[in-house]
Amino acid sequence: MSRGATGLETVARWRREAARLSSFGLYDPRTEHASCGVGFVATIDGVPRRSVVEAGIDALKAVWHRGAVDADGQTGDGAGIHVQIPQDFFKKHIARTGHEPTAGRLAVGMIFLPKTDLVALETCRGIVESEILRFGYSIYGWRQVPVDPSVVGEVANATRPEIEQVMIDNRRGVADADFERDLYVIRRRIERAVQEAHISEFYVCSLSCNSVIYKGMFLAEQLTAFYPDLLDERFVSNFAIFHQRYSTNTFPTWRLAQPFRMLAHNGEINTLSGNVNWMMSHEIRMASDAFGPHAEEIKPVISAGSSDSAALDAVFEMLVHAGRSAPLAKLVLIPESWSNQTAMPESHRALYSYCNCIMEPWDGPAAVAATDGRWVIAGMDRNGLRPLRYTITDDGMVFVGSEAGMVPLAEAHVLKKGRVGPGEIIGVDLRQGRFYHDREIKDELAAAHPYGEWVQNIKMGNDLPRPPGPDVDAGWSRETLRARQVAAGFTTEDVEMILQPMAANGSEAIGSMGDDTPLAVLTSRYRGLHHFFRQKFSQVTNPPIDSLREKRVMSLKTRLGNLGNVLDEDSSQTEIMLLESPVLTNSDYRSLRAWLGADAVEIDATFDRADGEAGLRLALNRVCAEAENAVRGGCAHLFVTDEHVAVERPAMPTILAIGGIHAHLVREGLRTYTSLNARSAECVDVHYFAVLIGMGASTVNAYLAEATIADRVRRRLFPGKNAEACVADYRAAVDRGLLKVISKMGISVISSYRGGRMFEAVGLSRALVGEFFPGMSSRISGIGLPGIQKRALAQHEMAFAEEITALPIGGLYRFRAGGETHGFDGPLIHLLQSAVGRDSYSIYKRYSKGLGELPPVHLRDLLDFEPKAPAVALEEVESITGIRRRFGSGSMSHGALSKEAHETLAIAMNRIGAASCSGEGGEDPERAKPRPNGDNANSRVKQIASGRFGVTAEYLNNCTEIEIKIAQGAKPGEGGQLPGFKVSAEIARLRYATEGVTLISPPPHHDIYSIEDLAQLIYDLKQINPSAQVCVKLVAEAGIGTIAAGVAKAKADVILISGHAGGTGASPQSSIKYAGVPWEMGLTEVHQVLTLNRLRHHVRLRVDGGIKCGRDVVMAALMGAEEYGVGTTSLVAMGCILVRQCHSNTCPVGICTQDAALREKFEGNPEKVVNLFSFIAEEVREVLASLGARSLQEVIGCTDLLMQVSRGSPELDDLDLNPLLVQADPGPHPPYCTVEGRNEVPETLDAQMIEDTREAFDSGEKMQLAYNVRNTERAIGTKLSSEIVQRFGMSGLQPGHITVRLRGSAGQSLGAFAVQGLRLEVFGEANDYVAKGLSGGTIIVRPMPSSPLKSNENVIVGNTVLYGAVSGALFVAGQGGERFAVRNSGAVAVVEGCGTNGCEYMTGGTVVVLGPVGDNFAAGMTGGMAFVYDTDGSFESHVNDEHVLWQRLDSDHWESACRGLIQDHVANAQSAFAAQLLVHWDIEATKFWQVCPLEMVHRLDYTLSSRATAATA
Amino acid sequence: MSERMLKFVDLAPKMPDKRPPQTRVKDFREVFEVFEVNRAAAQATRCSQCGIPFCQVHCPLHNNIPDWLKLTAEGRMEEAYELAAATNNMPEVCGRICPQDRLCEGNCVIERGFGTVTIGSIENYIVETAFANGWVRAPQPSIDRPETVGIVGAGPAGLAAAEQLRRKGYGVDVYDRYDRVGGLLIYGIPNFKLEKYTVERRAALLREGGVRFHLGVEIGRDVTLAELRDRHDAILIATGVYQARALTAPGTGLGNVFPAMTYLTASNRKGLGDSVPAFDDGRLNAAGKRVVVIGGGDTAMDCVRTAVRQGAASVKCLYRRDRVNMPGSMREVTHAEEEGVEFVWLSAPEALLGNGAVSAVRARRIRLGVPDGAGRQVPEAVPESSFTVDADLVVLALGFDPEDMSTMLGTSAIDLTHRGTIQANFTTLATSLDDVFAAGDIIRGASLVVWAIRDGREASESIHTYLRAQTAAGGRAEAGGVRS
Repeated sequence: MSRGATGLETVARWRREAARLSSFGLYDPRTEHASCGVGFVATIDGVPRRSVVEAGIDALKAVWHRGAVDADGQTGDGAGIHVQIPQDFFKKHIARTGHEPTAGRLAVGMIFLPKTDLVALETCRGIVESEILRFGYSIYGWRQVPVDPSVVGEVANATRPEIEQVMIDNRRGVADADFERDLYVIRRRIERAVQEAHISEFYVCSLSCNSVIYKGMFLAEQLTAFYPDLLDERFVSNFAIFHQRYSTNTFPTWRLAQPFRMLAHNGEINTLSGNVNWMMSHEIRMASDAFGPHAEEIKPVISAGSSDSAALDAVFEMLVHAGRSAPLAKLVLIPESWSNQTAMPESHRALYSYCNCIMEPWDGPAAVAATDGRWVIAGMDRNGLRPLRYTITDDGMVFVGSEAGMVPLAEAHVLKKGRVGPGEIIGVDLRQGRFYHDREIKDELAAAHPYGEWVQNIKMGNDLPRPPGPDVDAGWSRETLRARQVAAGFTTEDVEMILQPMAANGSEAIGSMGDDTPLAVLTSRYRGLHHFFRQKFSQVTNPPIDSLREKRVMSLKTRLGNLGNVLDEDSSQTEIMLLESPVLTNSDYRSLRAWLGADAVEIDATFDRADGEAGLRLALNRVCAEAENAVRGGCAHLFVTDEHVAVERPAMPTILAIGGIHAHLVREGLRTYTSLNARSAECVDVHYFAVLIGMGASTVNAYLAEATIADRVRRRLFPGKNAEACVADYRAAVDRGLLKVISKMGISVISSYRGGRMFEAVGLSRALVGEFFPGMSSRISGIGLPGIQKRALAQHEMAFAEEITALPIGGLYRFRAGGETHGFDGPLIHLLQSAVGRDSYSIYKRYSKGLGELPPVHLRDLLDFEPKAPAVALEEVESITGIRRRFGSGSMSHGALSKEAHETLAIAMNRIGAASCSGEGGEDPERAKPRPNGDNANSRVKQIASGRFGVTAEYLNNCTEIEIKIAQGAKPGEGGQLPGFKVSAEIARLRYATEGVTLISPPPHHDIYSIEDLAQLIYDLKQINPSAQVCVKLVAEAGIGTIAAGVAKAKADVILISGHAGGTGASPQSSIKYAGVPWEMGLTEVHQVLTLNRLRHHVRLRVDGGIKCGRDVVMAALMGAEEYGVGTTSLVAMGCILVRQCHSNTCPVGICTQDAALREKFEGNPEKVVNLFSFIAEEVREVLASLGARSLQEVIGCTDLLMQVSRGSPELDDLDLNPLLVQADPGPHPPYCTVEGRNEVPETLDAQMIEDTREAFDSGEKMQLAYNVRNTERAIGTKLSSEIVQRFGMSGLQPGHITVRLRGSAGQSLGAFAVQGLRLEVFGEANDYVAKGLSGGTIIVRPMPSSPLKSNENVIVGNTVLYGAVSGALFVAGQGGERFAVRNSGAVAVVEGCGTNGCEYMTGGTVVVLGPVGDNFAAGMTGGMAFVYDTDGSFESHVNDEHVLWQRLDSDHWESACRGLIQDHVANAQSAFAAQLLVHWDIEATKFWQVCPLEMVHRLDYTLSSRATAATA
Repeated sequence: MSERMLKFVDLAPKMPDKRPPQTRVKDFREVFEVFEVNRAAAQATRCSQCGIPFCQVHCPLHNNIPDWLKLTAEGRMEEAYELAAATNNMPEVCGRICPQDRLCEGNCVIERGFGTVTIGSIENYIVETAFANGWVRAPQPSIDRPETVGIVGAGPAGLAAAEQLRRKGYGVDVYDRYDRVGGLLIYGIPNFKLEKYTVERRAALLREGGVRFHLGVEIGRDVTLAELRDRHDAILIATGVYQARALTAPGTGLGNVFPAMTYLTASNRKGLGDSVPAFDDGRLNAAGKRVVVIGGGDTAMDCVRTAVRQGAASVKCLYRRDRVNMPGSMREVTHAEEEGVEFVWLSAPEALLGNGAVSAVRARRIRLGVPDGAGRQVPEAVPESSFTVDADLVVLALGFDPEDMSTMLGTSAIDLTHRGTIQANFTTLATSLDDVFAAGDIIRGASLVVWAIRDGREASESIHTYLRAQTAAGGRAEAGGVRS
């Protein structure tokens, strides 16, 4: 069979399967992600050079590792380059064809055309030609672009389009800028016409008189081989933007390759759905002189189905063509964080304030390289979440890229090495011939208009006068209040557990363990509509943000009013009102209403009981109609309220009213004309606020929650606090909670979140979602309007029918009789404990039967087995021993669990050949040694989580599998905090921290902001442990399938899918309840998408989250899982009785506590755990036998053995689990993992180094090695460290035993996990993640001796250096990037300046910064010490004061500590700058700040101030 | 505020002050004082606020124990009372006489390592505080419904149902053969466990709320079930079980041998100030006598402790199993022992001896054999092990059986069980007659007060549902119209 034929078949299969799975299964093409490497090369003088193109091509070849390769080894995820049109080249071509080109610039369109369908091809050509001609331009002709298809993979080749260029003559002789704009309109017309002709395989890469884009689905290094044009010497350019893509699927779609028309993007726009929705609204009133009569022709600006990068490009392009420069367009779309920046000039702030009035930021990780023809710029998102390094050389060239060293340059010619920091822009004005730094660009932009005056128009909502008169609840009797509370579904639990702490402490309630209540759609009890919405969160492809420690980038600023034309540039756009937060107190609400007066219209969100079954429907129609009429009548503010609830007028769920109005107004093109304000009784917790805002509300007033607080204040339940203070705290808690919810998605600005519908509906009818919440995913359908009305009415009746003595008790968070069902049921727990204690399988069976008799809790409870073959005899089924090997005991840390419980689990799991996991927080190396009785307490799986606590080279070598915890079922997208009282001496030792001092785990892994970063971490881990497999733990949500595909491509061996029900030691209640979805949905989606992409057989799938018995295990197997984690139930086997006080350190059974007295109560033992797993395995065997199967392996993915036996309550529209049961065609591969061992990764320099050090290992002699390096050589020193630690242990070698000298640019993760005995000296520079997890090694990075650079003024290491370092030393003769020494717990380091978030979350070690620090220095730093050299007095505006104090050097001890480190720095890195400091030490010492964590001040061996002269700082 | 809770780690459990045995045997007042304010609150903070509150799981009424403990700890007594009252019509009774060591407290999660939270006494404290502050209010129905319900029996089941139905607005008539409201609560349970003012307080509130009591009216004697069914829209039978189980041994016919209820009723009546000839003439007064009580349940405990207080010369309790295997509350046994009662474990009476009046009990030693299906060891007599215990007064506390219901109700239309109790639907408590429901001991056999209350509450819900359905169908209401 020929290559092409297989490729074509594969493509056909993929298309067919993708279409089927997206219609009937769980695959959603909208969830695809892509990420990458990006950059540009430019000449500063603007003169085109050949060397620019060559450098661009070279650079692309040096970021291949940031992309991914398909299974065939050739199909890349895409690469491309954007360069000037070599006019010469094309004119010569035209001349050869017999035309005489005119003098002006010709334009070139680089076009992908249908390849196989010749009719379509001709149609497209015809459309292109006629649109060009219609505009009055003429065509020189078409040029078939020479390509070499042999270099692309077979699948990519099968989807390869016909690639042609159309060359256009500027016959009208218009100015180039006008020509360019016309070409834009022409392109939009062409695209529309082609779409109308229903041709999909058509795509215009570029159509411009300035530049042309060559891109496609090949590996970066194949670019020139595929497009020989680029090798032509006449291909010269003054800039080259390049891009290497990494996508989460394997299907090669050529148009998705980047660069796009103006912009290339590395990262992910988290707010895409909101931005796209708002853009649709902005479009309506978008008019511009620039487009004149063609304004309508460019709409919709964003084509349907665009990726995030493509959408961003489309809006960017539109803004540019409307007259904004590339730098301004970047600033409007991706602004710097400005509202909390104290160091920012006023003029910049005014500019940003103006930008904030016109458009919602496009938020998320973004390194962009873009051009508007005149400017070439590189820009960064507000958080600095992608790397971007630049170099300027003495021959007038600028190189910008995701990594340093992509183009090898002689250091002697380098003038400047820098980085693009958070929110920054650098660029070259090619026309002017000048390079601009960030500050220079912004100064120029800010001076272009009187922004300062314009923003005076903004009315600040918090300054409104308070009208006289009482608040809404004044005069309510306790009975009235109670009736309203009951009507709104309040319970005692809501009030006592959720509301009380918010108003008392300004913080959300904390809970522990998992959610074991039924999904809202499965219960017959009343649940507010918000229960059907699950918060989405970031995992892998973008990072969640730490809204607490990094609140400087967060903003809740809310614009109210009539939004203007985004294309205007004048003061009218600032005529809005600005609120600090979308949360309105009752008093704010009244002020606002009073102020707005006739501008506002109130809409009543209640319905009439007399209208019967259609009551709710009629009322919703009325509400939408009233909103539309009001807006058409000129109203700029809508107030939707349910305060008029009465016996005959039940409230409609506010979420429905708001969602309905928002969707209706967007459809009618009216949404930007008005604000949409909700006043809701049901709204109490953070989640409800988030849902309302996510569904489009501008502001939210929780009047009944506030009335409840006021009532409690009257009853003196807040000692010492008045009502105002309590309400203020409640609001602060909601604000904080909202920031948490949006930051989970990686969003920092609420205006970009608003209306983005970043939720997944579980159990809402598809029709309902389509009407009220369009675009939100709702995969299993569920309750519709009739059901909602029925339940709302029943609840309403309860409130008004009879005398109420107390609110219903609740039972949602903790079990209460008569309340919600809980999967962990008291009597069943006792049965299970008695079964494992007495080794009685028959009692276990009673337990398992009891589980089956509970009301449905999980989706799987609606399914049952449907045997397709006769049963087999039990003896024929594989043994218990075999089945048990597939089990794990969850990933619970020693820190959450007591030592006794943690070890008992490990011993038990080892006895049966199953897996226990260390959890986050290290593990005592002693446990790696078997005990005298043969027991082994070593956890076979070691976890690496965002805190990197206790993650050393040794830890990573004491295991056979490393689990990367991306998210946790109970709180996906969030970090954690181990309060000081739980940090016992033992915990502190294992985590390299100080006893009693708080430990913070950040929300993201700071070395995983993107999929290619994950690939890098997996690479690092496979280096540090050359035999361990790597598992990536994800949490189920819509889109997890595509993420898993990306993870599989990153060479993970196991993917763990956690359900929302997973446990936790401590999480906010709203996170436990409302984030993540059941594993049934996640697992089946992953299985389908991996199978679709032919990746399934490369990875094992594991599942956990609420698995309790053999039935659950077989269900999971049928849905595609090969391995099964049983966490909480294994705790129950050890005596856990679900007290749910894990966060309180008072576990009465000694499992989840560090308290010595309580730990004595522990009654678990390995036998009980072994019994549990044996029973589950035995039950698995029984089920298998009944299904006619002899092993688990043979039923994996066999969803045809499952059938839906219940469609839920009759009140539901439908509950359809078929999407879960769809099977993807596995093609020639089995639907389970066939990899023996692990998925190997390529070797790096270490292979050579290990070879070269063999003698040193054997003879024990000291050695020195020397190599040249490039950025493609990553994790240097890591595998060598593994060798060292395995032979000599963590401290078996003396420091510097093996010295490795490297010249050039070291790749990412230089010296990751390097151990004592290894010394790496880099002459040149290094990239991100230097010294990650440093475990005792020494690393030096310094310029080449020949370099003319001043070390302290140039950047020579990348971002996230020393992340999780445990011990060792790092000396950097130059500046570092963002997050220097983040989560350092013991290493010492000297650097000559660093970016934002330096020393964040540090818990140990000492860092000396001999230069400026970026913003938010020392955020969350609870241990260690830092010294900062501050010459311009800027330090104090950059330091985060929440966890540290700072003062001048005031103690001999500390001064000499600081000086000693600088001396070491000079000795190691030969920094001339540092040497100078030492020479003038007596003067320079006064410019140092000493930064010390507050919690450490009283724990230091030496006081901070010991001199007699000491005055308090 | 939950940081105020979970103090079990540091704080030991403590009951309210218990009066010393020497003083308390001299009167009939309750053994425990009511908690003082601070100690109740402090003890309440010991609650672990469990994710699965096993105390509630094992409480027949599913009281929201952790919640009112928290409110008590926070000093929010009125809310604590509201919550306690929301699931229980007589929390002050349960707080005093429930065998908490077998129910809530026995299942308290921290019981094993730290000692249980003293739930019962806190419950008692909550309600006494509520009474003291006037928070306990008579039913105040927001609507008055036309239907009426007749309740037979003014014991705990009947009273609970009466209150619940009245709150819903029904007319409620309660019939009882005794002259006081309360049933067993008033005549069966001695004062030292439950002082009678508690029962009278409840009765007064119900009267105030409009519940009509018809005392001294015995069904089958003064009124028939048929008449009652005619009179009311629904009937609840909650008559309890009063037929004392007999001792099958020679000599039961001797003088000075009494069933427990006779003995206890006499003592309680005396306490209430009634004249009781059989007591005044000394027959039912244990003063100066050697008393033997046969049986090991809570009733037996009540008898022995009553005898102590009456000034018996000696009090012995004969029971065929041992301490561990007795059905009575361990707490009661301890009290009795403190008060000087002598337990003669593992002994079964063979015969009552005496001439005319009883003078001794002959008994045999027992040993416990293999456990039966229910897990209890079966007692077996040890051959040749007879011994005698001298006795001037013998009280038989061997349990109770239903009276002859078919005679009492004058109909065979109501199905009975083979034990003679009324056959009622497990969940609705409906009997074989549509409009007749039953609750309490008369359906479950002799049991705890707390179960009776639960039955009463459940029956009231079922009656409510039944009556609403009737009204909706126009059935009874129209029928009524026709009849008039």
